[in-house]
Parts: sequence; C-alpha cells; structure tokens
Amino acid sequence: MVNLIKNEWMKIFRRPGTFVMIALLIVITCVIALFFKSQEDTNNGAVEANWEQTLKEENMALDRQMSQSQSKIERDLFKKQIAINGYRIEHHIPPREKYNVWSFVKDASELITLAGLFTIIVAASIVASEFNWGTIKLLLIRPINRMKILLSKYLTVLLYALFMLGILFVFSGTLGAILFGLPSDPQPYLNYYNGKVAEQNIVIHLLIYYGLNSISMVMLVTMAFMISSVFRNSSLAIGLSLFLLLTGEQITSLLALKFSWAKYILFANTDLMQYIEGTPMLEGMTMPFSILMLLLYFALFLFFSFYVFKKRDIAA
Amino acid sequence: MEPIVELKNVTKVIKGRTIIDKISFQVNKGEVFGFLGPNGAGKTTTIRMIVGLMAITQGDITIGGSSIKTGFEDAVRHIGAIVENPEMYKFLTGYQNLIHYARMTTNVTKQKIAETVELVGLTDRIHDKVKTYSLGMRQRLGLAQCLLHEPQVLILDEPTNGLDPAGIREIRDYVRRLAREKDMAVIVSSHLLSEMEMMCDRIGIIQDGRLIDVQQIKEFVQASGTAFELEVTPAEKAAVILQQHYPEARPTYSRDGVTIALPKQEIPSLVKLLVDQEIHIFGIKEAGKTLEDRFLEVTGEKGAAGRG
Repeated sequence: MVNLIKNEWMKIFRRPGTFVMIALLIVITCVIALFFKSQEDTNNGAVEANWEQTLKEENMALDRQMSQSQSKIERDLFKKQIAINGYRIEHHIPPREKYNVWSFVKDASELITLAGLFTIIVAASIVASEFNWGTIKLLLIRPINRMKILLSKYLTVLLYALFMLGILFVFSGTLGAILFGLPSDPQPYLNYYNGKVAEQNIVIHLLIYYGLNSISMVMLVTMAFMISSVFRNSSLAIGLSLFLLLTGEQITSLLALKFSWAKYILFANTDLMQYIEGTPMLEGMTMPFSILMLLLYFALFLFFSFYVFKKRDIAA
Repeated sequence: MEPIVELKNVTKVIKGRTIIDKISFQVNKGEVFGFLGPNGAGKTTTIRMIVGLMAITQGDITIGGSSIKTGFEDAVRHIGAIVENPEMYKFLTGYQNLIHYARMTTNVTKQKIAETVELVGLTDRIHDKVKTYSLGMRQRLGLAQCLLHEPQVLILDEPTNGLDPAGIREIRDYVRRLAREKDMAVIVSSHLLSEMEMMCDRIGIIQDGRLIDVQQIKEFVQASGTAFELEVTPAEKAAVILQQHYPEARPTYSRDGVTIALPKQEIPSLVKLLVDQEIHIFGIKEAGKTLEDRFLEVTGEKGAAGRG
C-alpha cells in the first residue's frame, strides 16, 4: 500500500500543475499578509485605558437590543457577546490585543477554501486522468486488487489535502511571525459553548479551527473523487464540486429559510463550527445529528466510488 | 506441452448482445499463439477478459491454474501484457514509468530493471521523458514494462500497430526469442496475416465472436494443398482442355495463364497433354497458398455456414 501511495504521489508531483497550485497558495498568502501589514499602521491596536468601562456600556446596549429583538438567532448572538464581554471584565483580559501572528493565521485560514479547491482538482483527476491517458489498462493488470488501487488513490488525495493545509498553516505562521511578531503575552482564546465561556490555548484553538473548517473540504473532495471514479470525467467532477464548494452553503441557507428538510442537505451539516461558536442553521439540529449526516454522506460517496470502480469493464 | 492459459466456454454479453460466444482454447508454455480475426471480431475483448480488465459473463479463464475471476491476483501475477497501444505516463521518464510498475509487483530489483532496459535497447534514452519518445520507443518501453516481473505469459494486443517495417521486425524477433529462450507462452492478436505467419506457432481464428478454427500455422497454410500456375498460350484453349481432363482440380483462367490445384506427380502427364494439343508452355510454377488466401477461405466458408 505504501508503494501504491508513493506511485500516486510521484504522479502528482511530476506534473507542473501541482507546483503552480502550491505557488498560488503561497503567493496569495503573501498578498493577504502584505494587505494586513499595510492596515496595521493605521490600526495599531493599542489597548484603551478604560476598556472595562467601554465593555460595560456595550453590554448594557446589547441587553437593550436583546430585549427588543424578535429573532432567536439574533438574541443568541447578543447573549454570546455579553457573556464574552463579562468574562473579559471579570478576568481582566483586554479585548484588543496587538495584531499578531495568531490573528494572521486565523485570518489566513480563509484560504482553506483555496486549498480545498486545489485538492478537488487533484481528486477529480486522479482516477479520470488514468482513463484519459489510457494508462488505466496497464495499471489494472498488476497483481493488485482494484479496491487497493482505488484506496491508495483516495488516501493520496487525503494526504495531499493535509499537505496543502500544512503548507498554509506553516507558511502563514512563519510569515505572520516575521511580519507581525509573536505576542509577548499570548492571550487565550475565549470559547463560548453552551452558555459558558472557557479559555483555550490559541494554537489549539487554531488547530481545531482548521480541522473543523476542513470538514466541508474533505466532503467535497470525496464527492469529486466519486464523480471522477463513476463518470471518468474530471471536468464534470471539478465543475460540480467547485460550484458546490462556492455556493453550496448559500443555497442551503436559502432553502433552510423555507423548508425544514434542508437540514438533511450536506452543506447544512458541514460547518460544525455553528454548534461551537454560533447557532445552528436550522432549529433542532445538533452536533451528533450533523456528524451522523456527514458520516452517512461520506459512506455513500465512498461506496459509489468503490462499487462502480470494481464492476467497471475497462474498454477505453 | 504444458498448458498455462486455459479458456473454457468464455462468453461475454454486453447490453444483451453476445460479443464473445463460448470460446475455448489453451495456450502452452513456449508457444506463440496467434489470435487472428477481422476488426471487431472480438480479439481485444477476449484479451481484456484474459487479463481481467473485463468481467466474464460465463465460463472461466485460468492462468497458471488460478482463475482470473476468483484468484485475480494470483492469476494476473503470471501475465505481462500490452493492451492495444502501450500508454505510459508521458510526463514521467521511461525509468520512472518502470519504477512505477516495479513497485506494483514483488521482487523487482533495480538490477532487473536495468537488465530489462538493456534487453529492449532503451538504455540511452531511459531517463528522458516519455513524451519525447517515438512510437517505436514507446512500444519497446511497453515491452520492458511487461517483462519486468518475468511473467510466464506475454499478451500483446496488436503489437505492431503503427510501427514501421523495422519496428515490426524487431518486435517479431523479441517475441520469438522470448518464447524460445524463456519458455514463455505468448498470445499475440493481429489482423495482419503476413505478420502472424512469421511470428506464430499456432493460430486461432475468431470471427463474429466465435472461435472458428485453431491450427498449427504450417498445417493451416498447407491444408488446401498446392496449386500450379501455368504460363501458356492460348490460355483459353488450355483452360478448356484442362477442365475436360481434370474437372476436380478446378482450373481457373486468368490474365497470365491458368491456375490449377494438382498433386505434383500429375504435372508431367499434364505437360504431355498440353504439348499434344499444341499449346505453348512458357513456364510452370508452384504457387503455395498464403495465409491470407487461407484465411479468407476459412472465414468465408465458416462464416457462411454460421450464418446459414
């Protein structure tokens, strides 16, 4: 299996396209870093002397707004903000800290979508290309079960995703440390969950943040892989997956306004952050429900990929 | 003679259409078996079933005693194959391509790769990208790819397609040498008859998905006996005379003279007969039937019988 993954890895990294992807990821991270750097000068993030007073006033204002608010989502949002502000006052953690490496890593994590996009391209072509090149014939007449070959391809895709995320995390971390500096006194992240506020180490928080943000990426990558394996068409796989990557959540939230069955749609469940930091898209959705739905979709995608690949007559 | 590949009543049905209809044959070690048939007769489909690229609807194929259906990995371990054109990864070098395939089998050493490259004569160019290779070089790389793990069965589907005469000859020599020296069984498919005549020991003829004949190549070519071409004038008169005396030999009249199928010992009396009738004889030569004539004959006859 290790040899098979080595093979797939070689086939990915011997093509120039892969390096274009890595270069793009790095260049865009740089551009964002420079943008934030230029902003930094005007916004030096000095802590106001009377920040406790300000927060108290803000909380009072929020309280008023909450009592007037009609929507539950809005009220939950206010409640969260009040709780966090309260915690700050109580434990003497000023709200604004100088923009530092961790703030940048968090901002740059928006680029996970880009890493996802590149991984989708790889996933979409890893099976379909073998058919296009005609190399599938020579690949499948080795004394290795087809299932193992497909599994090695899927694992390679996941490895590639991890690789891209690794690049993003390490590079944005390094760049952030150089441009914005390490905080002398790193502040914990204040996590609001189930009405309680808790402190969390910022690095751990970022890793969790990365992990949860990667879920929708993994799901779409798996879907692209399925389309690639079932239809042997990389354009279709890339097109459809990218479309859903960019619009899936918006479409789902639109549907969620009208229909309650929207909660069964993949994209209503990909964002597990909604249970930790915000409020669920739909009433009645819980973390276990979403995890169950994700596993269900995941199993379904993989089942189709493997079943069709196993049964296929190689005639091309 | 030890059979290594065995097909038993192999049938393939695609979308209700029977593509391959109960084909059975065996291929022995050290033998070059030719698989002959017009385009679309089912050669490639049969070969794809032998190597496990296509599922078998009915019947079974065993290679070295293992069924390709139930023991795929064990069966296919004995096989090295090129199915149609040897498509390699063009963005990799020849060597990387071979490493790629070597990783997928057990016990292929760097040493073995170097030997194989030497054997197919690619040593100079092996570290160049495959996209810079000529078709002949790709074909040779394809051959290297299927010889790496020292298979007992070599399967070549249309190996000479698109090659120039020198390339064709090269492939032919490799194939004969491998069968002889390594006791390999070779299965070659082609629609080029002259090719097969020079390469194969035995041929199976396939038409419309049915195997209509399996014969030793020599027997096959000789089966119809010998014919003689007579260069005579006036040819028309000669044809009439011969028709009277040898009606069973079916003399045919053509632009150059008369062709007649007769045993050799009949020739002196035939000459005497023609001389007596004042026909000028300029020459008599033996015309061995080619595989091509024979092939058209067989497919014509059996095809008609099959359809009728």
